[in-house]
Amino acid sequence: MDDHELIRQILNGNMNCFTFLVNRYRKLVVHITGRLIQRRDEIEDVSQEVFLKVYQNLSKYRNDCKLSTWIATIAYNSACNHMRKYKKYDETIPDDSSILGSLKEFKTTEYEQIDFHRYIRDQIELLPVQYRTVITLFHLDEFSYNEIEQITGMAEGTVKSYLFRAKVILREKLKFIVDENSLKMVKEISNEN
Amino acid sequence: MRIKELDHLIEESFGSEPDFLIPDDFAKKIMNELVRRTQWKADLVEYFNITSFLIFLLTIVAVTYYFANKDTVIQVITLISRNLLQTIFIFLLVNFIFFADRVLLRFLFNRWRIKE
Repeated sequence: MDDHELIRQILNGNMNCFTFLVNRYRKLVVHITGRLIQRRDEIEDVSQEVFLKVYQNLSKYRNDCKLSTWIATIAYNSACNHMRKYKKYDETIPDDSSILGSLKEFKTTEYEQIDFHRYIRDQIELLPVQYRTVITLFHLDEFSYNEIEQITGMAEGTVKSYLFRAKVILREKLKFIVDENSLKMVKEISNEN
Repeated sequence: MRIKELDHLIEESFGSEPDFLIPDDFAKKIMNELVRRTQWKADLVEYFNITSFLIFLLTIVAVTYYFANKDTVIQVITLISRNLLQTIFIFLLVNFIFFADRVLLRFLFNRWRIKE
């Protein structure tokens, strides 16, 4: 069932279709709220609130963007409001040198034990909220630059810059593994996992 | 070249699924919450509608009675104005009982049922 038909059915009072919509977009919402809020005990509550807002405002949805973009916008705004409410939202421009210092080391001796993807995911959680947001929307949920601009209100150039800087910071942290053997080993471990 | 490979590996990791856990009955919980909220609103609207209708009916009866038997209506108004505090108290009490019956108890019961 396509999104247009799904919305029509929900607006006609078909609650099973709303359950279907929740299941279709729950990953998207949980990615955004999870990466922004980071507190596992609050993710479910905020995600639930997002879907309730989706239901209440569904009649206001116009087809000027994809349904996923519209839902992501609600999720992003809800997560930001939640963070502002608890004064956890740092809206200042990130300072890359201090971020680099706050990341954990990737120890070469632990190659066998550490899942590389898991290591990177843990480091994403240590990045500033702006970086986490654009990484999640661009790489995980595969939104375009234009869609990320619609969702977050950040200019396209800013989104590109944040993505680039996040990658540079992690590359800097992992530069030491860029020799033939280390990189090969990391790739092998990543493929195994 | 090797930096490019590292970049590719990092980008791959960016797109890997994070382990945010959400219970399997997530959709069911949302539906329950939705039902609870819509039920609460519907109950509230019903309460206001019935109260408005009863007040409207009372006004119609009073006005009709005023033309049919003016003295009785004046007597009732005098009685009320002499016992204003008691009248307000009885009105609020009856109103609260009606509100509890129509809205509050249903709301609390739904909450309890969802928690169960």
